[in-house]
Amino acid sequence: MNIQLCNKQLSPLQRRTMALFGANLGLTAVLSLGTHDLVKDLHPSAFLIYFTALLPTVPVIGIVATVGRYLARETDDFIRMLVVQSLLWGLGITFVVDTYLGGLFAHPQIFGLIPILNIDLFCVSVGVAVRIQLWRNR
Amino acid sequence: MKNRLRVLRAERDWSQADLADRLQVSRQSVNAIETGRFDPSLPLAFKLAKLFATPIEQIFTDEE
Repeated sequence: MNIQLCNKQLSPLQRRTMALFGANLGLTAVLSLGTHDLVKDLHPSAFLIYFTALLPTVPVIGIVATVGRYLARETDDFIRMLVVQSLLWGLGITFVVDTYLGGLFAHPQIFGLIPILNIDLFCVSVGVAVRIQLWRNR
Repeated sequence: MKNRLRVLRAERDWSQADLADRLQVSRQSVNAIETGRFDPSLPLAFKLAKLFATPIEQIFTDEE
């Protein structure tokens, strides 16, 4: 059994998790940007605004469920520990960037900032952290 | 926690990958255990003991 979280050596569980993770991540981005454009262009009713704002949360719940399912089924304790550490790194990076951007957005004179999707930032951070952890423990 | 994993493995002429295959864990896990960066769970420790036909306390010893 060769579990390295490298593309060619993923276990079936890891391959399935990565696929679900990617699908949910893509769906989050599409729904977030889609609903943002919808609200901006169509001037929908208040109910529709609340409803469309809820839509991108569905894949976020999907991501949490996917990670939970993976952690519950991963039999390799060490790899599980690396993934949990990477999740914590991702959480930390997301909080730091979010706090920083929150501070910038509070100043109306700052233009041109693209709102960053927290979940996407989190997922990318976790992915980078996993790679670094595996490189450190190669 | 210290362990004799590397010695036991070398006695059998197994690579880290061979041992990982037998334990159904990643090679990184074996490496982390051997170098003392990671302490295995009780089930994995029992698996090691069974594989090497040695009591757990002869594989792992308290550093103190």
